[in-house]
Amino acid sequence: MTGAADVQSKVVQASPEVKAIHRRMLRRQRLGRALTYLVGILISLWVLIPIWFIASMALTTPVEVRSYPKSILPFIPLSTDTMEFFLNSRGILPGLRNSIVVALITLTLSILIASPAGYAISRFIFRGRNIFRLSILAVRAFPIVVLSIPLAVVFLRTGIYDSVYSLALMHTALALPTTILVLSSVFSSIPYELEEAAMVFGCSPFQAFRHVVFPLVLPGIAASAIFTFVMSWNEVFAATILTVQNRTLPAQVLVTLNQSSEPYQFAGGFFMMIPALIFIFFIRRYLFNMWGQISK
Amino acid sequence: MTTASRPKGRKKINWAPYLLILPSLIYLALFFGWPMVQGLILAVREEGALLTLRSEADRDGNLAGQLPRGIQVGILERQGNPIPPEEAGQSNLLTEVWFRIRGQDTEGQLIEGWTPERRIRVRESDESGRPVAGSVRSILASSADPLTRIYTEADEDSAVVGKMGARAPVEILDQATLEVWFLISGEFENETIEGWVPSRYIKTLSDGTQGRIEQGDTSQFTTKYIQKMVNDRFFWPALRTTLLLIVLIIPAQFVLAIIMALVIQADLKGSGLFLYIFSIALGVSDLAVGILWYSIFTQSGYLNSILQGLGLIDTPTIYLSADTRYWILIAIWLAEVWRATALVMVIVVAGMQAISREVLEAAEVFGATLWQRIRYIILPLLRPSLQVALILRTILAFQVFAVVIVMGGGDILTVLANETYRQYYDLRNFNVAAAYASFILLLSMITSFFYLRAVRTQEEVAE
Repeated sequence: MTGAADVQSKVVQASPEVKAIHRRMLRRQRLGRALTYLVGILISLWVLIPIWFIASMALTTPVEVRSYPKSILPFIPLSTDTMEFFLNSRGILPGLRNSIVVALITLTLSILIASPAGYAISRFIFRGRNIFRLSILAVRAFPIVVLSIPLAVVFLRTGIYDSVYSLALMHTALALPTTILVLSSVFSSIPYELEEAAMVFGCSPFQAFRHVVFPLVLPGIAASAIFTFVMSWNEVFAATILTVQNRTLPAQVLVTLNQSSEPYQFAGGFFMMIPALIFIFFIRRYLFNMWGQISK
Repeated sequence: MTTASRPKGRKKINWAPYLLILPSLIYLALFFGWPMVQGLILAVREEGALLTLRSEADRDGNLAGQLPRGIQVGILERQGNPIPPEEAGQSNLLTEVWFRIRGQDTEGQLIEGWTPERRIRVRESDESGRPVAGSVRSILASSADPLTRIYTEADEDSAVVGKMGARAPVEILDQATLEVWFLISGEFENETIEGWVPSRYIKTLSDGTQGRIEQGDTSQFTTKYIQKMVNDRFFWPALRTTLLLIVLIIPAQFVLAIIMALVIQADLKGSGLFLYIFSIALGVSDLAVGILWYSIFTQSGYLNSILQGLGLIDTPTIYLSADTRYWILIAIWLAEVWRATALVMVIVVAGMQAISREVLEAAEVFGATLWQRIRYIILPLLRPSLQVALILRTILAFQVFAVVIVMGGGDILTVLANETYRQYYDLRNFNVAAAYASFILLLSMITSFFYLRAVRTQEEVAE
């Protein structure tokens, strides 16, 4: 924008007044820019400082964690003792395994079930399409709490209570609406003409999907899968309600929270955040794809 | 946003989309719709509230009346009854076993018939443990008939085939497991009702002539659980805290989220980094965030450390205790704003991307200040996005749970979701837990409706 203004000012010999206005505008713009940076940095600090705190607690010795006053300089002494103490506590490693199993089943099931529905919404206009979309939105907004109690009772009666598989079924139900909407927006971003062209050249609809659309939507599907994984990894309420022996990591931490020491708590808190720190980085470009769709 | 693909001029219904959405429809019906209905039913139906009495000791016998759970009844008579095969494995049944035996009666004749297991001492069993031979026990009581009766059927009311003396050897041909039925009589609403019931519903007391109805077989509509919920001493504090948190959290989140979105939309160098940092919290669970802020507010935590380092306090302050509830509230508030603003931010940015740049630039050229641009252009155009974010956030705020447990253990300060958890997990009160869940659902629906209405009326006024 500034560049354009420069060119203009060269072509038309500007009067001193115009130049002054121009300078003022530039100054204001620069000031605004600096202010925006400042605000951005402040908000970043607001987000990062607590993470910094907990990371420095998790990556030091338990003695240091219990000490007071704590030093603001982090990671001194840098040690994996606290983390090891947490991971070796009873129920943590099985919980970790359960969490991963539940999240992987959830991810697979929800992608398998949601992909066709997402494709249908983005490619076809059919009677009931809007009702379907709206009901998906409504379902998305329903509280987990409402779902957990009756499902727990049903699972108890049918004898599949306290199993990672039944918890994965529940998590899939929670993730499905979001996954459908996200995938439909991913499919919508691939022009239908590509598929059409493939079919003109003799592909069957399935082949067109397999060889043209699928490679293009793969990153979007992967992003959505990661998001589903994180959602399942983070889910606490249903996991605590639906499991007793086979607890997932968050459920295990929550239930043992009252009887546990601070090193255990802080290491647990940090450990549960790690996937978020990594995965959000990879899918940040897709976030708007995911949530933008919801507000349409 | 959609590429319509239906070939023109074709009247036939295209079934492809329906087939494609079918799996998700089935799944959602099975794991969403059905449990939801079950939950509502659980909250208002008392299972086994009434016990049906029959005029005969028979499942299909005529109805003699119904008695409520918990009342005392007299047990007048007992009788064994065949168990339907699908219930044979149940552990709560009071059963008796009858043997079909063959042996010589007192007159030396070979007879065959049924007698209760307690009358036979088993002497021999085959490999599978089935008794095959035994002898008749002697009856010790002098008053009673010293002989053991053999019946035509496994029923003491059936005809007597013959009698056997003590210690007579018998062959055991067959056995039948019967459930005991009681003839009970009880009083309900000034009416005495008498009838037969399976013994599994009755807990017998002391000498066996008295009993209590433990469980009924028919369910009944009840407001008992809802009343129990409302009268619970944690209900009103939980509701109050939940609503207070919503009122505190949501405005702060929206202001912060809009500022974040403006920073990201400002096209600065490094806005990708800002985007990453701002959206980190999107992937962090409420439990982890609770612990995160707990590490700051705990007695030996960072807040005290910093204040002491600056020389503002001499001894660490205790924030998270019963005497300082407001600090717990503040900690929960900070934790929730920290965590859930990212979600609002992403929705707002997605909405902002739809606002055309030309409009904003035009406004800037005409000298609109930042505040004017936000107030008159961005906010009105963002309304649909904000509405969705508002609904989502409010519904999620009703579910604040782990943070509350981390900060206050769930006792000092409680919220509705935590009460649901307590009723279910600590008190094992599924029905009251379901009542709480239904109440949260009701509140969510009311607020969503309210938001939708509020925004619509605004639009109507604008037009």
